[in-house]
Amino acid sequence: MENPYRLSGESLHRRAQEIRKKICVMNSAAKSGHTGGDMSEADILAALYFHVLRYEVKADGLVSWLDQFILSKGHGVGGLYACFAELGWLPERELLTYLKDDSRLPGHPVRQKLPNWVTVNTGGLGHGFPIAAGLAMAKQRHAGSTGDSVGRVFVLTGDGELEEGSNWEAAMSAAHFELSNLVVIVDRNRLQLADFTHNIMDLEPLDDKFKAFGFEVHEVNGNEVDKIWKLIESLDHENRKPKVIIANTIKGRGVSFMENVPAWHHKFPDEDQLKQALRELEDA
Amino acid sequence: MREYGDLRDGAVGAIGRLTEAGKDIIVMVADSTSTAKIGAFMKAYPDRVVNVGIAEQNMVGMAAGLALGGHTVFTANAAPFLVGRANEQVKNDICYSATNVKMLGLNAGVAYGPLASTHHAIDDISVMSGFGTVQIFAPCDEVETAQVIEYAASIDGPVYIRLDNAKFPIVHDAQYRFKPGRPDVLIEGKGVVVIALGSVVGEALEACEALKSEDGIDPTLINLSSLRPLDHDALAAIIERHDAVVTVEEHSLHGGIGATVAVLLARRRLSKSLDMLGISEGEFAHYGTRKGIRKHYRIDAAGIAQTVRALYTK
Repeated sequence: MENPYRLSGESLHRRAQEIRKKICVMNSAAKSGHTGGDMSEADILAALYFHVLRYEVKADGLVSWLDQFILSKGHGVGGLYACFAELGWLPERELLTYLKDDSRLPGHPVRQKLPNWVTVNTGGLGHGFPIAAGLAMAKQRHAGSTGDSVGRVFVLTGDGELEEGSNWEAAMSAAHFELSNLVVIVDRNRLQLADFTHNIMDLEPLDDKFKAFGFEVHEVNGNEVDKIWKLIESLDHENRKPKVIIANTIKGRGVSFMENVPAWHHKFPDEDQLKQALRELEDA
Repeated sequence: MREYGDLRDGAVGAIGRLTEAGKDIIVMVADSTSTAKIGAFMKAYPDRVVNVGIAEQNMVGMAAGLALGGHTVFTANAAPFLVGRANEQVKNDICYSATNVKMLGLNAGVAYGPLASTHHAIDDISVMSGFGTVQIFAPCDEVETAQVIEYAASIDGPVYIRLDNAKFPIVHDAQYRFKPGRPDVLIEGKGVVVIALGSVVGEALEACEALKSEDGIDPTLINLSSLRPLDHDALAAIIERHDAVVTVEEHSLHGGIGATVAVLLARRRLSKSLDMLGISEGEFAHYGTRKGIRKHYRIDAAGIAQTVRALYTK
């Protein structure tokens, strides 16, 4: 099984920009949403869904997954919905129901609402990593008993989220159980709700922390789509080590007045800001 | 002479038989292999036990992940650390996400008596009841435990099963068939109905037998092992045939079976006297021997009998 798109270069970059435009439209209509974090992860989602993840969309719209993705930073769900719309899975107009009554699109992903695109219900922080470790173990076991290829599990965590201790319990386990098919991607946008991460709880040296826990550690510019998938394709899954990719990103990436501004963690564009945002995203 | 058995033997035995029959089961422990009494199963199926070390949050999260990957997962660790330490993982990763995980709450209630409140779980039923999706059971003997495990494994979705490390009297024979939702009537009597939860069903049974032989009082005794689902109509119908209700639980009176019965009486407008025996609301349980703790809260046979007797001398 392969990724059905395998996009790269400008065509992949355009997908990321289209995801960003949808995020802005959606959050503007909802007058809410975690815009900053949605925007920082857009390139990672584009690279995963349009190049990396191996899956097959069935006639009934359900997806058969070899690789699976878990959005541990569940508040970044706007990016995920926008990505589903960009994939053509969600009608674009449905994005306008985001956060509204009876919508399938609540403020954190709910698998019962979008079977089987959402892997698990996230929102509380520090949950995705342990779940991903369990799922990676299940995929290894499945491959071991059937001889099929080993599915990979990608989990996207926020960087502030790594302050939760449960992540480090999972990190210990991932190395101990040799979950080499587990790829943790840290959306390292350096901002959390209250302030910059280094002002709240310094995570550095983050690479050394993961190395000490037994991970193979990589760093990448998380806002450059080609760099992301090329790095993922270069990973050695035979070396028995779980992987972490510290994806250095810019919160609010793609729109000048949002970039690196803490207030955009949980702010939405008004009408004028939306126009400017869409213009900037179209041109870049 | 009544036989006694360990609920864990019922549980682990059933898990072993299901595995042998081809069920794809993984048992997760958090350094709790002895707590779970799972040695024999581990020996037979070493690759089906995953020990994450002392890390309950990760145990529950990984259990959810393994279940998403197609396995039927049992977690087996002490109830206080499951319910307390991994509370949000239980809520989100298992209950809210409706993953196929069966949680064994070992050594619940005040099973860890003298180790005191860090190790007591007098809120497990209350906490689990606050979560959606999860089915909740508290079997009272080894025979019933095995059947609850078989039922739990047969459905797709979250289950919590309250267990213990003590030997409890075996009150069910081989003909017994556990039925989810059904209040299990152990003694069909009259006047007073005693409703007991899991670990203290044996105490209640002893009390009922003493009342009959010494006082000529013949209470009905219900083992309320299926807490969710619960057939409220069936329970109300039994209560209606009696004048008074006594509930007995090794659990806080907040959110336990006494509270469940109280709500049922109010909703059905049933005018019956209700005595709720359990750990007083707003308190941590006393510590000491289990016998001593049960005596203090009148959830031992003597305390239960005394409570029922008092209903006849008022």
